[in-house]
Amino acid sequence: MKQRFISSVQIILQLALTTVGLTGQSYPGKPQIIRCRSLEKETFSCWWKPGSDGGLPNNYTLFYSKDSEEKIYECPDYLTSGPNSCYFNKNHTNPWTTYIITVTATNEIGSNSSDPQHVDVTSIVQPDAPVNLSLETNTSANMSYIWARWSPPPLADASFNSHVYHYELRLKPEEKEEWETVSVGMQTHYEVTSLQAGVKYIVQVRCMLDLGEWSEWSSERSIQIPKERLPPEKPTIIKCRSPEKETFTCWWKPASDGGLSTNHTLLYSKEGEEKVHECPDYKTAGPNSCYFDKKHTSFWTIYNITVRATNEMGSNVSDPHYVDVTYIVQPDPPVNITLELKKSIKRKPYLVLTWSPPPLADVRSGWLTLEYELRLKPEEGEEWETIFVGQQTQYKMFSLNPGKRYIVQIHCKPDHHGLWSEWSPEMYIEIPTDFRVKDMVVWIIVGVLSSLICLTMSWIMIMKGYRMMAFILPPVPGPKIKGIDTHLLETGKSEELLSALGCHGFPPTSDCEELLIEYLEVEDSEDQQLMPSHDTHCKNTKIILKETDSDSGRGSCDSPSLLPVKCRESHSLPSALQTQDVRAKEKKGGKGSWETQCTASEQKTLPCNSESKKSCTWLAAQLPSNQAAMFAYHSTVEAFRITLNTTNVNTSPVLVGNEENRQSLYPIAETAYDGMEKINEMEYSKTDQTTVQVRQNQQNDKSPFLNPKLMDYVEVHRVRQDEEPTLLLKHKENSGKTKKCTVPGTSKEYTKVSTVMDHHILVLLPDQRTQNTPVSQEPVAETSENPQQSQAEKNTSYSTTAPSDSTRDTSGSDYMDPSSFMPSFK
Amino acid sequence: MCGAGAAPRSAHGRAVTGGRLWGSVAAPPPSPGDPFLPGCRAQSVPPVPGTLRAGWLTVQKHFPPRDNELGRPARKCHTSGMLTPNGKEYAQKIPREELTHVILKLLQAWKEPLSHFNQHIEHHQQLPDDSLSKAKQISNMVHELKTGVEKVTEKMQSMGIISNSLNGIASSEGTGLSISNEANMMSDSDFIHCFRRDSNKVQSYLKILKCRIMPENSC
Repeated sequence: MKQRFISSVQIILQLALTTVGLTGQSYPGKPQIIRCRSLEKETFSCWWKPGSDGGLPNNYTLFYSKDSEEKIYECPDYLTSGPNSCYFNKNHTNPWTTYIITVTATNEIGSNSSDPQHVDVTSIVQPDAPVNLSLETNTSANMSYIWARWSPPPLADASFNSHVYHYELRLKPEEKEEWETVSVGMQTHYEVTSLQAGVKYIVQVRCMLDLGEWSEWSSERSIQIPKERLPPEKPTIIKCRSPEKETFTCWWKPASDGGLSTNHTLLYSKEGEEKVHECPDYKTAGPNSCYFDKKHTSFWTIYNITVRATNEMGSNVSDPHYVDVTYIVQPDPPVNITLELKKSIKRKPYLVLTWSPPPLADVRSGWLTLEYELRLKPEEGEEWETIFVGQQTQYKMFSLNPGKRYIVQIHCKPDHHGLWSEWSPEMYIEIPTDFRVKDMVVWIIVGVLSSLICLTMSWIMIMKGYRMMAFILPPVPGPKIKGIDTHLLETGKSEELLSALGCHGFPPTSDCEELLIEYLEVEDSEDQQLMPSHDTHCKNTKIILKETDSDSGRGSCDSPSLLPVKCRESHSLPSALQTQDVRAKEKKGGKGSWETQCTASEQKTLPCNSESKKSCTWLAAQLPSNQAAMFAYHSTVEAFRITLNTTNVNTSPVLVGNEENRQSLYPIAETAYDGMEKINEMEYSKTDQTTVQVRQNQQNDKSPFLNPKLMDYVEVHRVRQDEEPTLLLKHKENSGKTKKCTVPGTSKEYTKVSTVMDHHILVLLPDQRTQNTPVSQEPVAETSENPQQSQAEKNTSYSTTAPSDSTRDTSGSDYMDPSSFMPSFK
Repeated sequence: MCGAGAAPRSAHGRAVTGGRLWGSVAAPPPSPGDPFLPGCRAQSVPPVPGTLRAGWLTVQKHFPPRDNELGRPARKCHTSGMLTPNGKEYAQKIPREELTHVILKLLQAWKEPLSHFNQHIEHHQQLPDDSLSKAKQISNMVHELKTGVEKVTEKMQSMGIISNSLNGIASSEGTGLSISNEANMMSDSDFIHCFRRDSNKVQSYLKILKCRIMPENSC
């Protein structure tokens, strides 16, 4: 039967399964019995957990059987213990009996049963937790304890309250983790002793029947154990401090107050007084402090200070504190600290620290004097470097490592007794890495810019080179004198320049040697001679001229010229001749080089090196002056004088007024100079009819060669080719050379043409006003327009003076006396 | 003005060095019309105890106070009875003459006890020579300081800075004698404590005095 039933059931189940497979519905899942529990050993309940419902409403039935019987019963009460539970009341509960319990879930498709559960009532007993726990504290005889009460767990059936429970109580201070468990017994109250005062405790209880398990712990209850009520302990006076040496404050630390509100009073007595005072001011300096204002502060007096703490239970007094305010001065930290980086002259940065005394301290009265100490370290450093500063309020620090960040602090202290203040707040300063880097950048920029400018300038120069050259070195205007080949002169110019350059480097020898030209005469013909018009200054020249033979008066000025005297006869002559020679050549063909002249003279006059050099230097260094020219004249004159006295073809007559000077008596023709060496040349020059006659009147016959100053005037007679006119430059000897030295103003310029006589002769007047006036247009020109040219021409000697035709026609202003350059030469 | 200083200068040669040690009081910058004129500084500046203090510290090592420095109730100083300004305002209000007077009185009161003290510690076997010489130095300094202050006082009187009401100073020496007897009764540590206090007093008064007379000079 049974097997059939089962097989049929299986078939049905299979059908059901197929049905489920078709419809998505199935028989319910297997329910599970969770637990069975008896609260009081007389009833019990079982709870189960449903399985899957198979998509259909399920019906749960609990079946049980007892081990003593075969019969299967269904749950008597599904409701009392809540859903999915079965309550077995007293009637259905048999102790010492094993229950076999199964839960079956059923729906439309089928049913499913849980595994059977075997339950013995006595083994599943666990009561509920006790309830209504209440705590009280009590204090008796200085002991605190907790009085705990609770109730046994309530039961569903009130009639079963006769059960006896065992209780356990546990407690802990609120902040702790570990519980302290106390076995209470069967009573429902307990007294906990040996508690800490002032601690909050948490308490729980649980219960157990004589068999079974302990219940859960009841809900927590907490209670605060009150503090002890004790007299306060001894307070401690921490310190007394005067921030400004005028008032002071004392602080104390209260000890345990015994759980009661405690009052503190500060009492003090002063040295030599019996009377005890109370603190005048508890408030100003904050809690637990006493402030003594100025009125209550005495110096050089010992205060005996005590603090008394008082509460209901009693009072306690601190140890006495003895204070002399003089020794407890501790100022506030300095304020207004500034850090400033400055650069010294050597560009090394240094740090300037300034600060102010603390605002409370009255340092101006002399009552309080502060000393300062500062400390610093690199930010990452460990050790402070401490520097005592003294009374000053600033400090300069050198030798700081660049590129580091420093921390600086300052504190202060009264100069004698007293304590250091707190350190001021940290101040930070960063030392820049290097100041020089910036400077380097600046210099680089400057350098680049300047080089750019230079490049641009040079580029412009190249582009406009010729113009610039013309601007810097204007072209020498060619002489416009008839009878002279201007082209030759132009070509000769470069040579002149070269000679000038070549002779540079010789310093001018003497300033004393000056040449004054009193007047100039230009004549067209030999026969016509003009009396030089003497300047008023030179009126006495004639008188002096008579005395010129003597050496008197010249030595002082002409000391350099005295030396050459000896050499003059031997060596100066050749040199003079040489110069003359070159000059003549140039005159002829413009090929004479001045360099060669100089060098030649030097070479030739080896014995008289100094002299010849001197002559050269004159020529070179006295570019703008006429002296060189005069010198040349002079030398030539002498040369002629010595060599050719009579070979003079020139018809130049002896000048009036030159008679005194025997040297001047010899007319000198340019052609004549050649006579010594080459008569042909002389002849040639003669045929050219450019005869220049230079007459020199020398005061001193002994040293005519080196003393161009002596020459007052020069007459040049020039014979033109056609008309044979003679340009006669008259150099009249300076009336007094000594006079000249002493009175430099006597030099005159002949820039004015007074009259043109017979269309041949220009009469030139000295113009004092226009000394040094540059002569821009001088065709006649011994003197050239610019100094260089004049120099050159002077060096070249008279060749330029030769043409006189232009002189004749031009106005007088055209003529420039070489002497006009003398001032500049000076 | 400074003519009188010539003689004392040699006599108080140490006073000059002491003056340097004494800081701002000892070396006030001169100002026209004040008694601390440069030429007079050497003799007019009183020497005060920078070294006095150092010496005090040295000496005190050998007379350690009981407990801490102020660890016991009032010691009776022989100068306690003297009425001296005990605060800034008082010291600033009191007439200059009186302040000067107080300074001189204090210095005078220590003259005798110090020499006694020196004699006393000479027999002190434990004391090293250093402390002995320091103690003597202190004694000398106090004397020189007193002389210096007297000079300055005279100068100030002659210049009219203070009145001449201090002529009775010499008479106070009589009371100084009884005071010094009292001082001889003190214990060594009390003695040093009292001396330290009074030297500090004198220093403070002198500073106040200087700043009152010459407020423009670093005051």
